[in-house]
Amino acid sequence: MESNDHQKHSHHFILPTKTALTIGAILLGLTGVTVLMGSVHLGSFNMALALLVATVKASLVCGYFMNLKYDKAGNGFVFSTAFLFLAIFAVLTGTDIFFRGDVYVKGPLLAATSGGPAKFKTPWIASAEISAHGKELFGQQCTACHGVGGAGDGAAAAALNPKPRNFTANVGWKNGPKPSQIFKTLKEGIAGGAMASYASLPVEDRWALSQYVASLNPQPQKDSDADLALVGVKGGNQEGVETASSIPVEAAIDLLVNEAKAKKAGT
Amino acid sequence: MTTSSHSNYLNHSKGLWSWLSTLDHKRIGLMYLFTTLTFFLVGGIFALLIRLELFTPGQTIMDPNTYNRMFTYHGAIMVFLVIIPAIPGALGNFIMPIMLGAKDVAFPRLNLASYWIYVAGAVFATSALFLKGADTGWTFYTPYSIRTNSTVILVLTGAFIAGFSSILTGLNFIVTIHKLRAPGQSWSRLPLFVWALYATSIVQVLATPVLAITLLLLMMERLLGIGIFDPKLGGDPVLFQHFFWFYSHPAVYIMALPGFGIISEVIPVFSRKPIFGYKAIAYSSFGIALIAFIVWGHHMYVSGQSELANFVFSLLTMAVAVPTGIKVFSWVATMYRGQVRFEAPMLYALGFLELFTVGGLTGVFLATLAVDVHLTATYFVVAHFHYVMVGGTIMALLAGLHYWFPKMSGRMYPEKPAAIAFWFILVGFNVTFFPQFILGAQGMPRRYWGYLPEFTLLNQISTFGSWLLAVGFVYIAIYLWKAMRNGPVATANPWSGLTLEWQTSSPPPHDNFANTPVVTQWPYEYRVEKA
Amino acid sequence: MSNSHADNSHGHGHHPALAHHFNNMEDQFEAAKFGMWLFLVTEVLMFGGLFIGYIVFRGLYPEMFAEAHKVLSVPMGALNTIVLITSSLTMLLGVTSAQRGERTKSVRFLWVTILLAACFLVVKYFEYSHKFHEGLLPGALFHNEHITHPKAPLFFSLYFMMTGLHGFHVVVGMCLIFWIIRRSKRNEFSPEFYTPVELVGFYWHFVDLVWIYLFPLMYLVP
Repeated sequence: MESNDHQKHSHHFILPTKTALTIGAILLGLTGVTVLMGSVHLGSFNMALALLVATVKASLVCGYFMNLKYDKAGNGFVFSTAFLFLAIFAVLTGTDIFFRGDVYVKGPLLAATSGGPAKFKTPWIASAEISAHGKELFGQQCTACHGVGGAGDGAAAAALNPKPRNFTANVGWKNGPKPSQIFKTLKEGIAGGAMASYASLPVEDRWALSQYVASLNPQPQKDSDADLALVGVKGGNQEGVETASSIPVEAAIDLLVNEAKAKKAGT
Repeated sequence: MTTSSHSNYLNHSKGLWSWLSTLDHKRIGLMYLFTTLTFFLVGGIFALLIRLELFTPGQTIMDPNTYNRMFTYHGAIMVFLVIIPAIPGALGNFIMPIMLGAKDVAFPRLNLASYWIYVAGAVFATSALFLKGADTGWTFYTPYSIRTNSTVILVLTGAFIAGFSSILTGLNFIVTIHKLRAPGQSWSRLPLFVWALYATSIVQVLATPVLAITLLLLMMERLLGIGIFDPKLGGDPVLFQHFFWFYSHPAVYIMALPGFGIISEVIPVFSRKPIFGYKAIAYSSFGIALIAFIVWGHHMYVSGQSELANFVFSLLTMAVAVPTGIKVFSWVATMYRGQVRFEAPMLYALGFLELFTVGGLTGVFLATLAVDVHLTATYFVVAHFHYVMVGGTIMALLAGLHYWFPKMSGRMYPEKPAAIAFWFILVGFNVTFFPQFILGAQGMPRRYWGYLPEFTLLNQISTFGSWLLAVGFVYIAIYLWKAMRNGPVATANPWSGLTLEWQTSSPPPHDNFANTPVVTQWPYEYRVEKA
Repeated sequence: MSNSHADNSHGHGHHPALAHHFNNMEDQFEAAKFGMWLFLVTEVLMFGGLFIGYIVFRGLYPEMFAEAHKVLSVPMGALNTIVLITSSLTMLLGVTSAQRGERTKSVRFLWVTILLAACFLVVKYFEYSHKFHEGLLPGALFHNEHITHPKAPLFFSLYFMMTGLHGFHVVVGMCLIFWIIRRSKRNEFSPEFYTPVELVGFYWHFVDLVWIYLFPLMYLVP
């Protein structure tokens, strides 16, 4: 039996030194290619090519240095499963990370989630109707803190610190007094105080509130196209303004980063 | 070879050190068994305390901060130190090499190392108990786990270390199954418990490394503030959940698959019928193992992940029902017109079928995106998870423990106390956890120290059930301990099983078999005997 | 127990490295090699987590990567690539010498491999100390005036985690190579039994493989 073992072992493939040196030289050559490619600018091709070269190098290392070319297929298969599962990990994580922003909540679906067909086609443009609607909503949602007249003197105001905004003065607006800026406040709330996000209200109701609150200002200000674009209204098209009653993860992260920075700068 | 009844693996060598440094897979299996059962006791005590606190809506016995630590410890200990290692580490280690006709696992020293790594991990994790504890839940979600003042880092280190034990056990088993089968033990003659452990091991090897890197990143997050998962530093906390669940969802199958294997052994033996759908059961284990890796996002429906991901994961998750359905169908079909004997292993197998089916079907509710948005993070999830993990894995563990008890100890357990304990556990379990489905559907959130007064009655029923469960488990511990010391001596094959472990003496000799066995047939050729 | 081996198929004496539960050296070798491949699978998935992190943040902030990577020194990275590939080659020659039974030659190649590994770490040390000096540090520790992108600390988190974990593997690899040198000097290996040498070789080539990807991804981002 022992002699048998010995015979079996002498069948093991031993890579000839010449092949080893050749493969080593190719690997070093390919490293040179990779570095040179870094100095030529081919746009996104650069990365693809660099990865291709890396993969060729990796295959050479696996095939010759790690003997997979001469080994049973099983070991190579086992090793490749690792990359298969890594690919699964990458792709499915990617379906989240690179597709955030609630792509399906647009157009008709958006109308449905905001509680029926839109009453106002362009709620970001002020009108008497929309201001009236806004006033009605203001009475339901805002007066407890901001007061019936919007002077920041509601019943609950006494208990609050910082105090609620006085809408009848042109000072201290955290996000600005334009309708689009108020709209932003309604969407995100104001950190560090009692002003919460009202993103759960339908989009047009929030616009209506914004129009009404902006009109309380002694010097009402109007939105420029650029202002509107900031909240997602582009070319008179509201698509993408509002998606769901949540803020995207990205925006949340940005908020937190800025908050942390402001804090750091303050201390 | 002196394989008389006097020489076996238990008296092969003597002294504590001969156990602690043993390379014998059977002894390592027993060490795993005792250690995991000890932690089961610890985790169980935490569970009882949690239920006791929830006996009344406000404070009953502990303050909210203690409560947070209690459920974190209950979860982390039960998941990382009990359910994951219990069946593969204890029963798998003991039985699997014998089922293959091998003398040991492929790498005995690595096997011992796995055990001690597991112990080291356990020591780290539990040492936090004596410091400031950990209050993050077993999921360690960021950013809270980065900010909390508790000693969560010790639990992270413990889970990190224990993960390597799991990886090495899986690796060892895969090589053993490939390279150490007895002559004639072809793949199509492999016992289903071995198939199940094989699928489990694959999941362990592929998923656990991701847990390692996740926990390592989280430790670095706490130590250096690297920010990858920390929104304040520009990182993405939802990415942590992807990392965590890429491991922890497959981990659910690491916990469940070995249990399926035990059930597949017990049911044909106690029905005296060939297993129905041998290949279907074997392959469905791989189906489950594969699907395990593509459904993790269903834990994250309300985390803020994209709508696309929600949709994809909800769709993929439904697929889990197919291979598990195949298994349940095959088990039931095996019993059909069989000569069913209601000894303890079979009782637990039947209990498993009941509880696991409830757990599995409620899983379909949770997989459904729209329903989950309502049910997520409520007691519905707690109930579902316990029906699957306790109802599935622990019931299967108890089935296996009773089934192989004669082989491991060389003695028989008493049948009547076993039946009584079984009913305590089955009834106690349902009384504990069924009300939690209702509580969850009514909106009671999980992990809360208090609740609204209208939930009081159902919570008290649940707490009462937990006491029944405790009585059942304590009773099992008592009669098994007694039986181990002076129960009636077991024969080599008390259940007339056909797998290889029943062909050697009870308890087996040090080298498992006097002569290397030769396998000549499929191990499920049972026949119903005419009365 | 003592005579249990005799029950096995081979009646007359066997290789001292043969464990009692294997039938012959060939089975034992194949089992060990298979185990090593499985271990490398776990390594791929562990590093893989970091690569996923890389893909995610690179996909989200490509302009940040383009800005931040410029502080890494391409010549140093390229030098280390050459060092590591050469060390892989000497490792291979050490293994094939062991396979042929040329002990002294094998040990010499293994020493060269350790030396090259040490070179790699020295270069890495200079790179790291430069980053420390400039405040190019991970996450919260980052303090550098010249890089303006607010997410830039993430790049350095990934850089230090990936190269740090890789560097840790280099150190472990050096210890393993030292271990097989010791065993080789005790004359434990022969053309019949060289399993540990070959498997440590695999491990070392894997360390090389990781760097082959790290280099273009970190240093050469367009």
